Amino acid sequence: MKFMLTEKTMKNELLALTLLLVAVSLTARAQAAGALRVVATVPDLVDITNRIGGGLVKVDGLAKGAEDIHQVVMRPSFVTKLNKADAVVFLGLSVEHAFLPGLLDVAANPKMRQDPATQGCVGTGCIDTSEGLSVLEKPDTLSRAQGELHPQGNPHYNIGPDQGPLLARNIAKGLSRIDPVHAADYKRNLKEYLAELEPKIALWRKWVAPLKGLKAVSFHKDVCYLGRFTGIDFVDTLELKPGVAPTPTHLEALVREMKEQDIKLIVREQQYDPKVCQWLADQTGAKIAVIGTMANAFPGAETFEKISERNLKALLAAVGKEPS
Amino acid sequence: MRNALLSLLLLLPLTAAAQIDASSTTLDAQQELKELRARLDKIEGAPLKASLSAFNPAMGMAIDLAYQHMKNDQGAFQFRAAELNVEAPIDPFLKGWAVITGTSGGTTTVDVEEAALQTTSLPYNLTVTGGRMFAAFGRLVHWHDHELPVTQRPLSIDSFVGGESRADGIEVSYLFPTDTYINATAGMYDKIGADNTRQDPAGLRSLDQFTYLGRLSTYEDIGDDHSVELGVDSAWTPKRFVTGTTNTRKDTWRTLSSVDFTYRYQPTQGGLYQGIVWGTEILQNDERRFDANNNPANRVNAYSGYSYIQAKMGPRLRPGVLVDLAEGLDQARQLTKTYSAFLTYDVSEFQRLRVVYSRQMDNIPGSRQANIVALQWTGVLGHHVHGFRDR
Ligand SMILES: [Zn+2]
Repeated sequence: MKFMLTEKTMKNELLALTLLLVAVSLTARAQAAGALRVVATVPDLVDITNRIGGGLVKVDGLAKGAEDIHQVVMRPSFVTKLNKADAVVFLGLSVEHAFLPGLLDVAANPKMRQDPATQGCVGTGCIDTSEGLSVLEKPDTLSRAQGELHPQGNPHYNIGPDQGPLLARNIAKGLSRIDPVHAADYKRNLKEYLAELEPKIALWRKWVAPLKGLKAVSFHKDVCYLGRFTGIDFVDTLELKPGVAPTPTHLEALVREMKEQDIKLIVREQQYDPKVCQWLADQTGAKIAVIGTMANAFPGAETFEKISERNLKALLAAVGKEPS
Repeated sequence: MRNALLSLLLLLPLTAAAQIDASSTTLDAQQELKELRARLDKIEGAPLKASLSAFNPAMGMAIDLAYQHMKNDQGAFQFRAAELNVEAPIDPFLKGWAVITGTSGGTTTVDVEEAALQTTSLPYNLTVTGGRMFAAFGRLVHWHDHELPVTQRPLSIDSFVGGESRADGIEVSYLFPTDTYINATAGMYDKIGADNTRQDPAGLRSLDQFTYLGRLSTYEDIGDDHSVELGVDSAWTPKRFVTGTTNTRKDTWRTLSSVDFTYRYQPTQGGLYQGIVWGTEILQNDERRFDANNNPANRVNAYSGYSYIQAKMGPRLRPGVLVDLAEGLDQARQLTKTYSAFLTYDVSEFQRLRVVYSRQMDNIPGSRQANIVALQWTGVLGHHVHGFRDR
């Protein structure tokens, strides 16, 4: 197997390569504008962007929905999607730290650049849906000793069923900024979506009344927005710290704590270890509710609405209640 | 500061309310209270963006410590490197970074590993990088030591490239606007390789004494859980710089070429907890060699390469094996083989322990095989990014 390049062939190859590059960039330029190309980091945002954008946008998603959002793997196809996008819709608050900054760094898209200092997104195409969010669990100090997965406060607000309108409004605002010609369309679609979602949220509020004041533990510290909506008091987590796996000592202490405080509900995000949750349930007699942390976490729950509804039903079922 | 602001916010409506006559106040006051609460929420609820610092550069440091136990029951602690990296945007069009290392190779030295500028907003998918950087040659070749899957830089790349692919120069890369990821890079450097002594690192030189690089790489997803990466490149130095010799023949050009292939299995469901990486790289060095007195000797065409498989088992454990073959640059028939087994334990995202067992042997008559056990402890302070390259 020889792949030696002599000077001459090398020069010819360089020339051919240059010509190829020029040709490809020309064809790329010639591509018609058409629909706005949007990349959304998680399925919840894919869903809502589709609703707000209607036929005016073409949405591609990155995370599938069943992953741990802190551990989403960067795939080569993500780079080319971002490279060609006019906008990227993301949850922000560093929750996409495992994949978005790294991808933006190599996507060579001036509309969405990685800011190396903040690891955020800079450029006209960035749509941060956390704008205006009342952030919970902001850390007093930024220290790795506390784990550093939630440095800007708890970023898992998409699990809060009442956060849909915020996501939708921020997406509509972002799309209108990038594509002002169709601002009226986005506004109309937003109105339509909210007219559907807001009565649902009102209904869900009635559903969750029996959950108020209930004490529970979750695997990861990602349920505070869900807790605020349902009134469930999330006391502790199976993880030692966000992103630090449960240790035997911590689990023993957790069993004691759950017994002392009579905690009868364990919330397991579907991506986390079922075995350790089952062990904890066996030790304490608590019931397990399995929830999804992104849309599409379960088959048939591909929209924000469906996953929110499914999560609430799972919580109710675990404590022997039914939606009313 | 916050308290002062709060009391101001709370006092304002009170004084305002006091001035208005009682009949119309209840509704207005309620409305005002609502607005105030909204404003308070804004202050309380704003994310901690400022503390992540918009204007200070992001700084990080990797500290790498190893213990090597060689044959004859002799060992040594090695403070291998403390690597300080600083990165920041310079303006909307440019970012810059620097990597400073302190290493100990007998004596401790502080060195600029990288110090480069890179464009962020060029049109047509172009990116230009200039300064001191790790040239985009090969795959593991341009990884920093502490990022490698094994403790020691594989001999195949260490001897052929001359350490890390450090280079002073300029690089242009182009991302093809296709659905498949294809990247082309062209570079021009003084030389490639931190320990490469072929070219005078400081002196002026004519155009044919620079090193020119061309690289083409592609990544492709195969279904949801698998992906492959393929890269080919060649670094061409038209003329070698030689001191202290009079009879340099003309054909002193050198090409260092490589092909690399990586397969990844990363199931969606397991996130980063499960998976397999299989990486292989083959290098070819074609150059006229010089003897100890800088007299030209034969042109030698030598090959080297490595192949490793690393599995990811759960959130912490990453076992793997690596086979490395390297021909001698002066004598292609001289082959050094290294077999390594390694186990990496990720204590947390920022701390890593590793144990490597290697057996090295060559076909030089009379030489003995070496058994090496190495323990490595690496910690990362501060700024830490998940790069696409080392995903
Ligand atoms: Zn989290």
